[in-house]
This record gives sequence, structure tokens and C-alpha cells, in this order.
Amino acid sequence: MSAAKHSQAMHFHARAGENVRNPVLQRALQKAKPLFVGKRAKGIAALADDGLEFEMLRTACEGIRNRTLADLDVWLDIFEERAITSGAEVLWARDGEEVGRLVVDIARRYGVTKATKSKSMLSEEAHLNEVLAKAGVRPVETDLGEYIVQLAGETPSHIIAPAVHKTIEEIEALFAKEHGRPVETRTSADIPDMTREAREVLRQHFLSAEMGISGANFLIAETGTAALVTNEGNGRMVTTLPKVHVVVTGIEKIVPTLEDFATLMRLLPRSATGQTISNYVSLLTGTKQPGDQDGPEKTVFILVDNGRANLLGSPYQDMLRCIRCGACMNHCPVYFSLGGHAYGWVYPGPMGSVLTPLYTGIENALDLPHASTGCNQCGSVCPVRIPLPKLMHQLREEQVERHLRPWSERLALKAWAWVAGQPVLYRWLTRRAVRYLNWLADDAGRIRIFGLAPGWTAGRDLPVASGRTFHELYKARK
Amino acid sequence: MRVALYVTCLVDLMRPSVGFASLRLLEAAGCEVIVPEAQTCCGQPAWSAGDRDLASDLARKAIAELEGYDYVVIPSGSCTDQICNVYPQLLSGDSLWGGRAQRLAERTYELTTFLADVLKVSTVPSEFDGSVTYHDSCKGLRTLGIKQQPRELLLRTPGAAIKEMADCEECCGFGGAFSVNFSEVSTRIVDRKCDSIAEAAADAVVGGDLGCLLNIEGRLRRRGDETTRVLHIAEVLAGGEES
Ligand code: SF4
Repeated sequence: MSAAKHSQAMHFHARAGENVRNPVLQRALQKAKPLFVGKRAKGIAALADDGLEFEMLRTACEGIRNRTLADLDVWLDIFEERAITSGAEVLWARDGEEVGRLVVDIARRYGVTKATKSKSMLSEEAHLNEVLAKAGVRPVETDLGEYIVQLAGETPSHIIAPAVHKTIEEIEALFAKEHGRPVETRTSADIPDMTREAREVLRQHFLSAEMGISGANFLIAETGTAALVTNEGNGRMVTTLPKVHVVVTGIEKIVPTLEDFATLMRLLPRSATGQTISNYVSLLTGTKQPGDQDGPEKTVFILVDNGRANLLGSPYQDMLRCIRCGACMNHCPVYFSLGGHAYGWVYPGPMGSVLTPLYTGIENALDLPHASTGCNQCGSVCPVRIPLPKLMHQLREEQVERHLRPWSERLALKAWAWVAGQPVLYRWLTRRAVRYLNWLADDAGRIRIFGLAPGWTAGRDLPVASGRTFHELYKARK
Repeated sequence: MRVALYVTCLVDLMRPSVGFASLRLLEAAGCEVIVPEAQTCCGQPAWSAGDRDLASDLARKAIAELEGYDYVVIPSGSCTDQICNVYPQLLSGDSLWGGRAQRLAERTYELTTFLADVLKVSTVPSEFDGSVTYHDSCKGLRTLGIKQQPRELLLRTPGAAIKEMADCEECCGFGGAFSVNFSEVSTRIVDRKCDSIAEAAADAVVGGDLGCLLNIEGRLRRRGDETTRVLHIAEVLAGGEES
């Protein structure tokens, strides 16, 4: 599988540890979390002002996505037909590599030397920047976060806030270097200035690029339209200024009607940033027509499978409802302890812990479905009610069925379960165990280093009781 | 009313006083309490690890020993979730056990829910001198909807003053095997919980799941906090009588 070779998900454990110990990263994450959570909470609470109710809207959004997925092929056909009618070209890509080939082909056809890009996670799945650069096309990320990440030579660590792992000092250092000026001391009050500085640089790129590459938040079947939801306005530049506009997006992004899109928009920005609506919502249909002020001469949709079709009709189909709002990671205690890069592939957080194994191979991401406390903070905020913990659980079961768990873990579990099935033996063993624990404990009744579960005492004491089990004491009392 | 008390494996091993406190609370509320003798573990560790077969074996065992009572009460949201939500789903394809799992689930309650919603107790047998801050454990809160019940009971406890901590609904980072397998991440998460607890500056942090409480207590002590008491809700409500 092509995605597997780029995935670093097998190193989750090591990366997680490193990131927990990285004070700069921790500072950045610590700052971001309350912002995300607070803003979403306000946005959801404000639904009441419009006489709307979260759970009802959720049901509606979940329903739209389920209906779409039930007849995905039909909606894709309709989309293709309508898009072609309005002057666009529609191409299909089986995987990331094919996306790269198609985009490079188009670039060659139109003599493209520079491509501006607005945020697209699919372009990450396809490693498009790398592929373009190799083909002699300079890719320029124009979303501010993506721009920062590109300057740093990194990948996004969050699906809507790609540079959330960076502190302002780090960003200042990157800007100073790229923009050829000395480093200054910056505070959050300077963010508008720094943004303006990046805009100045990007403006020249907008004007000189021959191709714009964007994702799409939704594809609207009835009109053959790509919907783009952004906050910076860069999306508009990318999709209207260059003569060629390429939309790269997943086949599951389709919704049947404009009305469905409007319903989903009630929850997408609120779940993502807490906004009632994002600063820009663009509906892009076809090419520049006579009399139009702007717009591309050529519009190409590249609709990508890359593992999605396999999920249709599988126990994981619910995952395809995802509208990429990021709420699950914003509310994830694990994500905010280590940042997105530890997850090793394009998608981080709870949705990544489900998608990465499904798209890159379960055997290539063994830790991810286990990297969860099962708290379900993600599942309870997801606007399309994806049962993320349940899907992670299914992946755990599949690992066991396919004999992918370490033998030591399997053996320990089997031995323990066998003992737990024999009450007399269990009582006998637990009586011995608590005496042993009590013997290990210090005067305060705590174990500081516990050889049998060193993970526990690495960061915590283990408080133990009197050296008697409940059942033993209860029996004695009777 | 015959009530089976399922103490949980963690209470049996790590803090028997929670089992005795639960017993006293139920008896004070007028229940005839039986502690079924053969109880061991509900099987959640096997289920969490992804092993359906082992989890089903232990589910059948628990069903057989718990189904003969009017109610089953458990001082843990997480084990209650296992019996109420996981068992029926785990055994749904089993013509014999599916129905039995379902019937058991309907009669099984987490301790504070049973006291507040089923028995509707108006008094609790203890007094507590000091302030408490309540940590909402994830399973209880998000799958069983336990939120008001423990607080109602605390309000009825003479002397106990509730001081809510910030983000009381945030996960403490325990997660069973997660706390050992991803120890550093787990510690990072519980650190944030400890910060909230420190800010609340209550005399005791109280919760309904021993796993979370051991995690919180273990981290608080490691950080050098020797004074904040860490108590199970049953211990607060039933008073400090030693087992
Ligand atoms: S899984 Fe749900 S919460 Fe997470 S990004 Fe997708 S839609 Fe948003």
C-alpha cells in the first residue's frame, strides 16, 4: 500500500515520549487547548440564539452523511455530470501516487512552474509538495499555518491549525530567516503584523502562480460545486487568480444538495473554531464564463479514493462521515499531551487513530487504537456522531483476531482471565498479592517503584491498602 | 429488597474500605445486601485489550452469579458500564446469554445513581468536615450520565462543602492498561488534573471510580502533595469507619 511507506505510526510510542518531554511543544499545546475548547463551547451554546439545538442538528448532519454514503456512487456520478456540464474536468485517483501523477500531468500541459496551495489534507496524503518539487513545480502553501509548516520543512500537526505545535518565537525565527531580516522579540500582540508580513510575501506568489491547488470541504452533487470554508481569504486567491485550478479531495466529501451543505455548515465552523460561520465560504462551480470578473480558465477535480471505498459497507463506514472539523483532537487529552506529529501520518488525534490504521494498514499502526483512555470526549463532541472510541475498539479486536498483539501481552491476559474464572484460586492468589504489595509499600502505604508495572510508578506512587482483600475481611467479619 | 454488591476487583485488591462503605450505605438505606461469593472481575481489561472471547467468558461468569437479585450495585461507573452497555452487545449473538445479559443490565446500577435515583435517599449516614471537589470519571459521566447524583448526595452530607474544580469533566489519564503502557502520556494528563485540583484547594478530591482515584492520588503524592485527601464517594457518604 503506497500510504504505508510514508507512515511513521509504528514509532508512536517513542515519539509520544519525546514529545511529552519537549517543553517548547508543551508550551504551545498548553496555550492552544483552552482556546479551542472554549471557543467551541461558546459556538455551540450560541446555537440557542438561533433557536437551534445541538443534538437535533447533530442528528440531521449524521443523517445527511449517512444518506450520502448509502448511495455514494450515485452522488459521485451526479457530481461528475454536473461538474462537466459547468465546464470542469473530473479525474479519479485510486491512491496518493496517482494524485501526484495527475497533478504533474496537468502542470506540464499548462506549463506551470509555480503552484499556490490552500489547505488540503489530501495533498498531504499524496505528498504532493514533494512530488511537485521533483517535477520542477514550486509549491507555495498560502494558508498561514501551512506556510509556517512549509518554511519549517515539517508537516501539519493539526487538521485545521497546522502550526499549532509552534510557539511564536519559533515562527518569528522562521520568518526572519525566510524574509531576510533580523529576529525581533514578539508577543501575541504582534500576530497581526507577522500575518501582514507573510501576506506581502504571498501576494507576489498569488500573482505569479499559474496553478492553484485547493481541497474542498464539501462537493455538492446537485450543482457540481466545490465548497471551500476558510478564514484567511487565501483560498479565494488560490482558486480564482491562477489560470488553472485543481481541486484535490476525497470521494467521501460529497453531499447531495446545497441545502444539505447549509445544514452541515451550521455545525462545521462551530465545531472547529466556534464561529457561527467562517470568514469565507466559497462555492466554486465550473470555469470562468464570458462576463465573469475572475476565475480559472481551467478547473480540474481530482477525486481520490486512497482507501476510502474499502470502508464502505465495512464495520468502519461511520468514519467516512467525518467532516474534518478537528473537534475530536481539540478535546482529546492524549492529543494535547503530545501534539499531532507523534501520530505518524497525515491525520492526528482520535480520527487519526482510526484513519491511519485503516488507510495505511492495521499492522502498520498498532499503537494508535490503544493510544486512548477511552474517555469519549471526542465522541461526545463530534458533529456527525462518529463513535470514535467504538471504532478504535473494533481495531483493537481486529489486532487480536489477526494475531498482531505481542505474545507476552496475550499470555498475561489469558493467564489472568483464567485465574479470574476460578474464584477459589483467585481468592488465594489475590490474598497473596495484597500481602506482597503491602510488604513493598513504605510507611505511608505507598509503593514508589513497582517492578511488575514500572509504567505506573514511573510518574506516580501506588497507594496500597492494609494487606487484606475485601473478600477476606468480609468473610472474617461474618 | 435484595441487592447484590459487586465490589469490583480493584476495590477488593487496592481499597477494601470502599466496599465496606458501599455496604454500610446500602444497609443504611434499608437494603438487604448480599456480596455474591464467587465474584472476581467483570472482564473489562480483556474487553479493552480487544479480546472478545475472554471478555465473553468472564461476562457469562458474572451474569450467572449476579442475576438472582433484585438489583446489582457497583461502586464504579466503569464496571457498571461494562455490565450495562458492553455485556448485552458482547453477547447479543448468543441466544441463551443475550437475553440474560440484557435483563442483568436493566437491574444493574452504579452506587450513587442507585442511592439518588432508585432509592431516592434523603439522608446519608455520615458527616464530613471539610470541602470536597468532585472529579467526574469518564465512563460514568459520558456513558451513564452520572453528574448530579454524587453532588446531590454530597449536598446532603452535613459538613461537606463542594468546591468545583475547573475542567472537572476532563479525563484524568487513567484508562486502565493505558496508564501503564503509555505511562508518560498518562502522567502528563493526570498532571493537568492535579493542577485543577490544586487550584480548587479543597480538603479532599472525591470520585466514583477507584482506578481514577489511584491515578490521581499516586500523582498528587509523587508531586509532593501529602495533604489533599483522595476519597471514593462511598467513603465520604458512609463516614470514616475503618474496615
Ligand atoms: S471525527 Fe468528528 S470531530 Fe473528528 S474531525 Fe471528523 S467530524 Fe470532526
